[in-house]
Amino acid sequence: MTEHGQTVVFLITLVIFGAVMWLVLKRKITERFAILWMGISLLLLLASSLGFRYLFKIAQLFGIPYPPSALFLLVIFGLTLLIIELYSWVSKLNERSRILAQQVALLRDSLDREIATRSGTRADRLSPARGPQHE
Amino acid sequence: MSLAASVVTKVQMAPWSMQERVLIIVPAYNEAGSLPQLIKALQAACPRCDVVVIKDGSTDNTPQVVKGLARLVSLPCNLGIGGAVQTGLQIALHEGYQFAVQVDGDGQHPPQEVAKLLAAARESGSDLTVGTRFRSVGGFKSTAARRLGIRFFSFLLSKVCRSRITDPTSGFRVMNRRAIRLFARGYSEDFPEVEALVQVHRAGLRLQEVPVEMAERTTGKSSIGTVKSILYMLKVPLAICMSLLREREVALLDEVGRP
Repeated sequence: MTEHGQTVVFLITLVIFGAVMWLVLKRKITERFAILWMGISLLLLLASSLGFRYLFKIAQLFGIPYPPSALFLLVIFGLTLLIIELYSWVSKLNERSRILAQQVALLRDSLDREIATRSGTRADRLSPARGPQHE
Repeated sequence: MSLAASVVTKVQMAPWSMQERVLIIVPAYNEAGSLPQLIKALQAACPRCDVVVIKDGSTDNTPQVVKGLARLVSLPCNLGIGGAVQTGLQIALHEGYQFAVQVDGDGQHPPQEVAKLLAAARESGSDLTVGTRFRSVGGFKSTAARRLGIRFFSFLLSKVCRSRITDPTSGFRVMNRRAIRLFARGYSEDFPEVEALVQVHRAGLRLQEVPVEMAERTTGKSSIGTVKSILYMLKVPLAICMSLLREREVALLDEVGRP
């Protein structure tokens, strides 16, 4: 990779880092998620600037003949972590929304029955064991 | 709430003298076509049972057709059969029902068989009683692929639970207090039937199968198409393996902790 290419990578990463910072400041991303994003962009920043010469060593260590590929490896690893984190959050949110939906349904049911009891009609609470049927 | 609370105390004070209460849970997603007939048939077949329809985010006229016939609990969005049944089980748990019966809203489960399942559950004291299509003479006709899938799961489940299970995907089942409590706490969201059997086994509860007649669905179509079938065949075995790996200590704790 040329000096020029290195600068491009550095700048792009800087923009990503800045964007994440800005989103956290604006409370569009919670700090929790931002940590991983910032970690990845910091890693990239380091890799594309100070650590660029170490990249060759890392590439050698991993047996990668083309050093910039080591950069891709790092990025893909980071992104995979991020996606797994996202999946775990989606699962958690799914679980929470299920519980909420159930609670809403149960609350609305008890509210309906309370209203029906107060107004003297028990139309919605029917079953043959419990009282006369209404149409 | 006060009504539910008072019922619970009464049950706790005099468990056997109280009249046994049974809740029939009908999960329904866009089944308005078959619901009125089903509810009426259920009430005729089990006049002592309460029927609750769980509207699982249906977009048809379910509320109108159920109104005045049975209690209707409306989920604000579609949760899938597992979430819907679990909602019914939470009602059964909090309002002190001794038994909960799951009857699918599509009319596949004949109301006249509910009494048979209930009687079997009462007699044997099993925690979960599953109505099976495959133990009776006459049998049930299904597509070849579906039969193969069911056979695969019945083989797997029989091994896992160490008892003969012929129809693990049947959703026609009776749960007693213990099973109600277990499932109200945790129930698989999308394809719960098979996983529930493993749950019961892992928790050290008892399950039994009772042969029943089942009808072809009257209206609507199966919620499980081709893509979903593939997902089913991948997800359910994975979930079974995971729960076998995961719940061991939980199950042990339960056994130790049980009075």
